[in-house]
Amino acid sequence: MFMGSMDLPREKLLVDINTTNNRGFTPEELAEQCVKKIISISDNAHPGVRDQARAFSKDIEKLIAHYMQQAVQSDRTSVYNALTDAGHPQLAELIRRL
Amino acid sequence: MAFSGNFMCTSFKQEVLQAKHDFTASTGDTFKLALYTNSASFTAATTAYTTSNEVSASGSYSAGGGTLTSVTPTTSGTTAFCDFADLTFTSATITARGALIYNTTTGSGSGTTNTVAVLDFTADKTSTAGDFQISFPTADASNAIIRIA
Repeated sequence: MFMGSMDLPREKLLVDINTTNNRGFTPEELAEQCVKKIISISDNAHPGVRDQARAFSKDIEKLIAHYMQQAVQSDRTSVYNALTDAGHPQLAELIRRL
Repeated sequence: MAFSGNFMCTSFKQEVLQAKHDFTASTGDTFKLALYTNSASFTAATTAYTTSNEVSASGSYSAGGGTLTSVTPTTSGTTAFCDFADLTFTSATITARGALIYNTTTGSGSGTTNTVAVLDFTADKTSTAGDFQISFPTADASNAIIRIA
């Protein structure tokens, strides 16, 4: 007889819920979440391999955060120019200073 | 009445055997995730999305919740599994205790509200004029949100 299972663990938190108050996520917060998707490190892995993997994931996290910050700045440049072209220089300057 | 744990809905298990759900990315069915307060009371017997006790519309959250981006099912060893991309509601003031995943596509004989799973956040989660993000577990044979082992 074949017995497959699709049931979910009853009491466990299955999804991570991340929330912010009066702001959006920072590049650093998003980079941390991004790395969790890219690199999964087992607690049961050999200590040497595990430590190396954790160090690697920290390096990747910093790299992703850096490029996310650049993406934010670059997008603000685009928004700044769009607002300036639309005749809203003060609003554009506000965005640039964020 | 309150959330009492996670459940893969029994009706969903039956409908999988009736080929009523297609998780294939892009060409498959459209699945949504709706958020609920702790006044909601869902179990494995829950069969349909409901607006009762759903959190109020705020920011990018509106009634019915958000559309999930499905990742085409795959296998590892003898386990088949599928995943969803993380879902974020922006500029939202929300307090939610759990969620329903449901299928809105009628293509294979199902309705527009057929439930897939009940998710219990184990505590109220709150965003205030900010982002509310649901991050799904690693898509592998041990952790993916929907698995057939």
